[in-house]
This record gives sequence, C-alpha cells and structure tokens, in this order.
Amino acid sequence: MTTTPTPALPPVQVFESGDAALRVVASSPDREANWAAVHGLAEWLDAGGPDGVHGAVPTYDSLLVEFDPGVTSARQVRAFVLLGLRQLEFTGAPARTPREFSVPVVYGGEYGPDLERVAEQQQLSVEEIIGLHTAKSYVIRCLGAPAGSPMMDGPDFPLAVPRLKDPRLSVPTGAVSVAGRQAVIAPAAAPGGWCVIGQTPLTVLDAEAEPLVPYVPGDTLRFHRIQPEEFATYAGRKLEAAR
Amino acid sequence: MSLIIQQPGNSVVTDLGRFRGPRFGLPVNGALDQFSARAANILAGNNDNAPLLEITALDFRMRATTDILIAVTGAPLHLTVGGRECQQWEPVSVRAGETVALRRINGGLRAYVAVHGSVEAPVLLGSCAPDTVVGFGLRLAEGTEVKTTRSVPPIRQPYFDLPLFRLGLTRPEFHSTAVVEVTDGPDVDEFGDTADLLYSTEYTVSGRSNHIGLRLGGALPERQSTTEVLSRGVPVGAIEVPSREELLVLHRGRGVTAGYPVLAVVTSRSLDVLAQARPGHKIRFRKTTVPEATAKHRAALRELETLRSTIATVFPLLGIGNQPGHTPLAPAAGT
Repeated sequence: MTTTPTPALPPVQVFESGDAALRVVASSPDREANWAAVHGLAEWLDAGGPDGVHGAVPTYDSLLVEFDPGVTSARQVRAFVLLGLRQLEFTGAPARTPREFSVPVVYGGEYGPDLERVAEQQQLSVEEIIGLHTAKSYVIRCLGAPAGSPMMDGPDFPLAVPRLKDPRLSVPTGAVSVAGRQAVIAPAAAPGGWCVIGQTPLTVLDAEAEPLVPYVPGDTLRFHRIQPEEFATYAGRKLEAAR
Repeated sequence: MSLIIQQPGNSVVTDLGRFRGPRFGLPVNGALDQFSARAANILAGNNDNAPLLEITALDFRMRATTDILIAVTGAPLHLTVGGRECQQWEPVSVRAGETVALRRINGGLRAYVAVHGSVEAPVLLGSCAPDTVVGFGLRLAEGTEVKTTRSVPPIRQPYFDLPLFRLGLTRPEFHSTAVVEVTDGPDVDEFGDTADLLYSTEYTVSGRSNHIGLRLGGALPERQSTTEVLSRGVPVGAIEVPSREELLVLHRGRGVTAGYPVLAVVTSRSLDVLAQARPGHKIRFRKTTVPEATAKHRAALRELETLRSTIATVFPLLGIGNQPGHTPLAPAAGT
C-alpha cells in the first residue's frame, strides 16, 4: 500500500440515519474527490473500525456506516468517522493498482431486449450503441444491489437513458444494462427497471468465494462483443482480472 | 440426531444476520424479529446468534429423532409436543419420536424455534441467513433433515402443579394496530410539510409485504424536489415513497443501495414490531430521537441479559450442560 500526495478532502457532512446507521456525504464539486473520500473512509473503517461497527457501504458521494446500537452509538460512531477523516487528510487515501476486467457480451436479440429501444431513444443505430458501449474502460464506482453489482459511470451516449416504465420482475444473471448515466452487470437474477442491452455468459457471482464478486471499487472493466453462437463457449467461466 | 420436517409451512433456518454482507452488496437479512430470535436462543441455552428456525404465518410440524430441548418464541400460536399443549417463551423438552406442532400463528406473523445446541446450516460470509437474491440458505421442505448437535434427556417436573420455569421475561405484545417509532431520515427536508402526514395517518399493511420491505397504504408524503439522486446505501428501516400508491418500509432483506430519498428510519426496537405486522394490520408512526431509540434498544438487551443469567443458573441445576452426554442431576428439590 502506498500513499498519494494529500489532496484536500472535500467538505463532509454526517447525517443521522436511524439508531443503527449514519450517512456520510462528501459535497465538493469534484466528483472524483468525493468518491475517493468516501471509499477511503470505508476502507479505513473496514480495516480497523471500533467495536460494534458492522461495516460501511460507500457509493458515489456517500457512505452508509452501520453499527450495533447495543454496543456503540450514533454519537460515538460519528466521532470515529470524524477521526477517520482527519487521518485520511493526513495520510491520503490508500492507493491500490486497479485491476482490469474484460467482459464478453452478446448484444441485442433475446440477450439484450432493450437494445433497439435504447438506440431509438438515443437516435443512433444499434451498431453505434454497441460501439459506444464497447469503446471505453469503465471505473467500477461501487458495489450495488443486487448482490455486489458493479456500478459504473455509463457509456458516452448523447442522452441519459430513461428507466423502464414497467420494471421487469426478473432480469437474468449476466444481464448488461444501462440507465441514466450509469452502466451495470447483474451478478444474480433480480427485478430491475434498467434497459438490458446484452448479456455476458461469464459467471460474476461465486457464492463459494469470499468476497463473492472478483472486483472492488476502483477496478476497471471493458466490454467486448461476441456472437450469440459463442455464448456457450464462455458459459460457466468465471469473470477474472485480465491484469 | 436431527429434526425431520413433516410440514414445512413457510420456514427457514436463519440467525441474526449477515453483518458483513452490506459492504459486498448483500443485505443483512436474518431473523426479522430480532428480540424473539435472541430470546428463543437464550431460552434454549444457546448464543443469541445461533442458527434457529424462523416460521412465517403457516402451520409447521417436525419430529425429533432424539430427546431435545427447544424454545418457541415470536407470534402467539398453539404449540403442542407429542400432542401435549406446551408454553411458548420457556424451555420445552421433546422426546425422541415426538412431533412438535406450531399451529394457528395469530396476532403476529413470525415464530422462532431454537434447539439446545443449535442446528446445522451452510454459512456464507459468517451467517446462515437465507438470501433470496443470491439463492443461498436452508429453506425447509417436507422431509428435510435438519441436523442437531446435542441430545437433552427430558426435564422432569418434580412438583406437578408448579410451572417449571419462572423466567420473568416481558413477552412482546401483539396488536392489530401497532405503534412504530421512527427518527427523522437524512432526507426529511425534501418532503417539506408533507412529511407530517407520516405521523397523522393510519397506514394499512399490504399483502405485498415481505422480508425485503413492508408496503403500507395511506396518505403519502410527497417529495418536493425532483433532482436525480445518486445510488447510496440505505439503512434497514428506511421509509421511502417510491410510488404514488404505497409507502415502502425497508426491512432486513433490503437491497443495500437505492436512489430514493429517506423520509424517516424505523428504530431497531420497532423493526421487531414490523416483523410481526400481518397484512391488513394498522400502523401508526411516532417520532422519537436517536438517543431515546438507543436507550430502548439497550433496555431490551438488558432484559435478555437477565434472562440469560437466569438460564445460566437454572440449566446446570436441571442437568442441562454444555457437554453432549451430560447426565441429568436428580430433581433439584430443596435448592
């Protein structure tokens, strides 16, 4: 673990969230700085949180800290969070070398039932949508519901993608979706209102492993197109870091 | 040594929850009525967090292959062992071959059965709590064999007219109109004056409620701003207004992140009340503060501690030890 030169920490607010959680929000105009602050704080809490702190859930600019109110209290955890922030200001967020993941995707058809709808809404061709989706390397911002989904800033589409009016009751495992300005892969089948544009045959979630998903926030991910007949070739393989 | 499930109803093996789950994107899950689950385990001489059975709404029957000691807590119900009527909220002896039946769960929704020495279940991230999204956990079916770890010879009551245990635990009360305490959520300001509707409305529990969340019908506070919310961690107990039809109160199976503003958060104590709310039951919300909520939670834990020390005194006198094959003492007359 190395330390980076200390950037000024963004201003941070701590909100009560019931008797067993606090919400910490970083509120600078610099989104990267907000993200680095809440993830740095989460890592610090997970490494050495005080008794009674269950853990922290960092997302984009916010962090939910959960604790056992029988052992500690909102007041104590708040003081500990502020201590952690001072520590981070001193040492900088721990820097780790991101790993990169490569994800094969079959686009459209039964694998991506919303691909044409998204193309129409963006006023682009299906090929252009696939081109934009495979063009960039995505930073995994956080793990979301369901089951450790990699939440990423979306592809460079001209417009935000509206969510489905009628969410699906079940989106299959491996579904590759977009909504708003975000992109995601579904590690497990679950209801969902995002637009499904493709599906990966790789197994993302390994319920036997710990952690259950191979990536952590800060890792990067790239999609590449495969043909429907190649789906079976990849099926059952696990998603693993390319480097 | 095992329990053979004869009539599963709607039952699982669970514990207090997967507390390391949320950081990996998994909900905490675990027993929805935490007080009843802890009490069942303590009454059975186990750790609070030992795996136990959670039975929701429907009748349940199982047979023990060896002599065991159990405790049944949670919603009021009709409990029989080998056809004999038995009490909830106290240790109960079950002989090899006898059937334990839980019938007519009423008043509340969920019952807990702890077995002395606990039961075996697969573990994920330190917990056996089922996760319906990942497809993990031990859901009971007819014929499922749940392994137990300790046999306890029947406890003999030397004085027939006296109850065997006087444990002095205040049992939770179950009403069809429940008062649920909440604290202001981090986003309460986004609802403006409409937030007050939460406290002036009587809500009705919808049939679409489950371990992920309860849906409540009634007058709905309305978000005043329309800015997009980035996904963020939401606590168990978060009250949201995702649609124009219902209030959503998240419980232990909730997805860890969401993009809806949090109007209020149900206290840890009142989450147990919601765990027992049946479809059609009425809910009223009352505002409290975090320090008060914490104090109430700790008062309940102290009560459980008292119960634990009573059990720790009584069990050795009855010969219920922690070692398998421990020989029971003679009836503890005069002690």
